[in-house]
Amino acid sequence: MTEWKNSILAHPEKIAVPVMTYPGLQLIGKSVMDMVTIGEVQYHCVKALSAKYPAIGATTLIMDLSVEAEAFGSLINFSENEIPTVSKRLIDSFEQVVNLKIPAIGDGRTKSHLTAARLAADNNTALQVFGGIIGPYSLAGRLYDITEMMTAILIEPEGAHDLLNICTSFLKEYALAFKKAGCNGIVIAEPAAGLLADYQCEEFSSRYVKQIVDFVQDDNFMVVLHNCGNTVSLVESMLGTGAAGFHFGNAVDMCEILPQVPSNRLVFGNLDPAGVIKNGSPEIIKVKTKELLTRTSQYNNFVISSGCDIPPGTKIENIDAFFEAIAEYNKG
Amino acid sequence: MNEIIEKLTTCIEFGKINQKSPFPPSMRGEVGADELTRQALEAGIKPVEILEQGLIPGMNAVGLKFSQGKVFVPEMLMAAKAMSMALVHLKPYFMSGEVKRKGTFIIGTVFGDLHDIGKNLVAMTVEGAGWEVIDLGVDVKTESFLDTLEKYPNCAVGISALLTTTMGNMESVVKLVKEKYPLTKVLVGGAPLNTEFSNKIGADFYSRDPQGAVAYLNNLQNC
Repeated sequence: MTEWKNSILAHPEKIAVPVMTYPGLQLIGKSVMDMVTIGEVQYHCVKALSAKYPAIGATTLIMDLSVEAEAFGSLINFSENEIPTVSKRLIDSFEQVVNLKIPAIGDGRTKSHLTAARLAADNNTALQVFGGIIGPYSLAGRLYDITEMMTAILIEPEGAHDLLNICTSFLKEYALAFKKAGCNGIVIAEPAAGLLADYQCEEFSSRYVKQIVDFVQDDNFMVVLHNCGNTVSLVESMLGTGAAGFHFGNAVDMCEILPQVPSNRLVFGNLDPAGVIKNGSPEIIKVKTKELLTRTSQYNNFVISSGCDIPPGTKIENIDAFFEAIAEYNKG
Repeated sequence: MNEIIEKLTTCIEFGKINQKSPFPPSMRGEVGADELTRQALEAGIKPVEILEQGLIPGMNAVGLKFSQGKVFVPEMLMAAKAMSMALVHLKPYFMSGEVKRKGTFIIGTVFGDLHDIGKNLVAMTVEGAGWEVIDLGVDVKTESFLDTLEKYPNCAVGISALLTTTMGNMESVVKLVKEKYPLTKVLVGGAPLNTEFSNKIGADFYSRDPQGAVAYLNNLQNC
């Protein structure tokens, strides 16, 4: 993975690593429900996408932020064509944390996602494969209710830390399972931390993310930390996790982020996945893609990506436009 | 200004709910919005003064700091909780008509979406600005918005969505609300939205933060 990173840093041409699995559903004729429950379907989606877009810089597996909570026992709301979400908090007091059982790897749909990871890694050896897991604070928010978790850090910080410790224990093992499955790295999605102040992010998110990074990251396995909140003031805290890469959402201007990140760490971002990539016309997508590449051209460590998961239902012609714009930009 | 009212404003601004609450640490052990509102009523201060001179300025102060990035969601939620606690004591005066609300605001997360933090923030902030808020919760079907509008035909409506997959559901809600109640103002909000999307689906206003929603609503005269 260090080799891959170094090749990006040394290579003048821009590569693209969009967070993209759902658009593959149209290519293979499956539903969101199939994708989030059947590992083989997820694999065939990313396989179809990497075949259609050979310029893709790495394969990212699904960013499913309900799977870990489900493994803990949370009820999940499923529907045929919408992304699953946690429907109810699992615990309503921190006293209940002691009763939480840390899930085994393979519980719930973790097995399905690891199957997809294994298939992608085994059959896609020419391409880097990133698994996806939720971040500790975001997981705690799903188990305890995100609104309550927000105020808990102020009024019950010890309880919040107890829950975060349990979440992190599981996430370390889950991240390791992706590594054992043959992935080249993982993306840790920690969107809820984007709602915090920098010192709160440090205490209740980054400290725990760092434990996961320390547990799994090495020269062959990269951790990318994703935060799609307003992260301009959180970059220092995110850097402290030690992750080798950072992925930003479209809430920020990359030109405010990039100067804060050392040139030897990769920075991914941040075309608006809904407003531009899903709802924009191919012409707009091309303009926005080239504009972002031009504005960030001085940063060799910048990798263009979507600001978050590209939504289901995004037209293939829009994805085509994204890759065409990058090809045209690289040609000069 | 009355000392109780001044303290009440401070409690709302800094999220001091009651004496028991450990937050903020600098006010630990002191009475909070709960006790002070009760004290103010017992001291004969008019409920409308408590609301307009004590509570609303506190919410405005914290809302401004939130918009400026000086405080964040946790502090904003604590302020809203303190406000809600104070409003419990004023509820009888709203019911009797002694204290008038600025208007009524119906809010809910669009059907298909179970996320509520943004919706909660807006609901609590709008309520704190002197509006009656009818919170329909999450995964709100269009019929539920319409049924509530039938009871409160001059209300404004707020629709929230967090997911790129559910924001599209807003369009049909806005369309049906506007068909049946053309004068109803519809606000939309949520992380993946922007003004362009709001315009496209026919909403009247996109707010990126709770204060924006309050400012827009306060400018409405017909509610």
